[in-house]
Amino acid sequence: MTPSANEQLDLYRMMVRSRAFEEVAGAAAHEGLIPGSWMSGIGQEGTVGALGQLRPDDMITYTHRGAYCFISRGCDPKRLLAELFGRRTGYGKGKGGRHIADPEHGVFGKSGTIGGHAPIAVGLATAIQIRGGDGVVMSLFGEGASNRGTTHSAMNMAAIWGLPVVWVCENNGYCGSVPAPVYTATTDIARLAAAYDMPGVTVDGNDVLAVYAAANEALQRARAGEGPSLVELKTYRIRPFSETAMDPRDEREIEEWRDRDPIQEFRERLLEQGIITHDLVASIGAEAQAEMAEARQFAEQSPFPDPAEAFQDLYA
Amino acid sequence: MRTITLTEAMNEALREEMHRDDSVYAVGLGLSSASEGTTAGLVDDFGTSRIRSAPNCETAIAGSAVGAALVGMRPVVELHLADFAFNALDEILSKAGKWRYTHGASGGMSLPIVFLQTMGGYVSGASEHSQAPLALYMHAPGIKVVVPTTPRDAKYLLKEAIRDNNPVVFFVHKLLTDVKGPVSDTEGEVPGFGMAEVRRQGNDVTVVATSYMVTLALEAAEQLGDRDVSVEVIDPRTLEPLDIETIVQSVRKTGRLVVIDEDTARCGVGAEIGLQVMEHAFEALRAPVARVANPNLPVPYSPPLEEAVLPSPKSIQAAILRTVSATP
Repeated sequence: MTPSANEQLDLYRMMVRSRAFEEVAGAAAHEGLIPGSWMSGIGQEGTVGALGQLRPDDMITYTHRGAYCFISRGCDPKRLLAELFGRRTGYGKGKGGRHIADPEHGVFGKSGTIGGHAPIAVGLATAIQIRGGDGVVMSLFGEGASNRGTTHSAMNMAAIWGLPVVWVCENNGYCGSVPAPVYTATTDIARLAAAYDMPGVTVDGNDVLAVYAAANEALQRARAGEGPSLVELKTYRIRPFSETAMDPRDEREIEEWRDRDPIQEFRERLLEQGIITHDLVASIGAEAQAEMAEARQFAEQSPFPDPAEAFQDLYA
Repeated sequence: MRTITLTEAMNEALREEMHRDDSVYAVGLGLSSASEGTTAGLVDDFGTSRIRSAPNCETAIAGSAVGAALVGMRPVVELHLADFAFNALDEILSKAGKWRYTHGASGGMSLPIVFLQTMGGYVSGASEHSQAPLALYMHAPGIKVVVPTTPRDAKYLLKEAIRDNNPVVFFVHKLLTDVKGPVSDTEGEVPGFGMAEVRRQGNDVTVVATSYMVTLALEAAEQLGDRDVSVEVIDPRTLEPLDIETIVQSVRKTGRLVVIDEDTARCGVGAEIGLQVMEHAFEALRAPVARVANPNLPVPYSPPLEEAVLPSPKSIQAAILRTVSATP
């Protein structure tokens, strides 16, 4: 299924805003404004094809990488950046850093352990099933997380309970700087679906419309009460594992994927089809940059938490 | 007053709370067909959606409970043996225990989950089916630890655990599940979390024990009565929050403290309570604080070996006598 022209423009806007956030966060990391680390998702924005069609009442769990999961859910870039900067105005009041949750927008965290969020996604979907309704949980994970028992046991549980979960594997081919064939017996993660008796498809993760179509089918299935599905997106991260880390990967390989930039490819297609004009491209880009510059200003001007706040929020 | 077993008391508590609140559900291996235990028969009232049979994977069971709790459900998780719960420590300690704090209580986030664990030795369960890992959870931030001894406490502490907005690890000893006791029908009569109970009054020494260790401590205390040693036995009932005030008050009276703990001694419940008593009432102590606990060994299988490792009325008596005869 192809999204309408307006939906395509929405997806494009989300991707551009996400990239603009990435650039601001990446620069801030190099300037020492982020006391922890930032895992850039530049190059993987095709995932917006899956995330961008969720309803407000749907929920996600996400990986440690990228801003597109937050931006496409409608999270506030100011509070996101403030959290990365360790400020009290951030989503976790400076307590979580990259571990961000925004329950109001259905964003339920990443796990500090790779793949640790998969069973949590199953629990979110269990709540939907017990209460009734056609909401869906989309759970993103990387091909590295496919090695964790958490991922497998969560897929099994979602399948036997017939839960509305859409598993989205962002297969970027590397765990840290180690290439996938070194640590994963099958590098085609969609094949795992067979073991848990659910549909599994692999698509080009840098083709946002291909991602949209595959995710749309899985979402329809989940909403109809037909259970979970697995969608694998073959993609690549352009930046190192962590923004300020060394990158031992082959520079030519990185360049090849840079030429396959998902935003650029989508923009060209939108221009070809007359869905977008050059003027609109320019204004969407300028708006995104202005929005993220403002977010940075907000974050930088926000106060650090008072040390006394370390003693708050443990118990409800 | 009615007399029922501890398991029956927990079954009543769960049934009442599930009727009271639609967001309470139970999850664990084989629950919907359970003919005994905390969930026995509840599937008839609540169906398989709320008495939920899960795959035998503690990681997925506990992790799914975290997810459901994040959106307002109140899972009661049956993990069966405490030893099995080690498979779910990332979920219990790092997710349930920390996420509210990590996320700055974002959007009012809370994690109302009860993790039921059956613990303890004395049944030739060997090293992987006999553990009583109380200190592990007492050590972890953000987790409440409940250790009921009597059916009455089990019923009302479980009801409180289900209503609490935080993760609670709820331990039941294997040798207490079938023990009968009176259960009041009035919840207000039962003290809540953080309220210790003086199980036996005495003047010469304070003994702190939980769960099955209370049974052993009371037995030792009765026997020592013949030798004119007057033992006070205090059951904290919850280890987090810990009612250190009641313990300190007793030590101010007796001047002596022995802590009984089925868990391994090192960095254990006894070490913690002993240190807290020193912080609060060092001047009241007339003898070194003593511990009776597993001397940091795996629990062995054969009965004579198991008896040598785990606390017994005999080893408790010996520790009490040493403490009582010690001079400052």
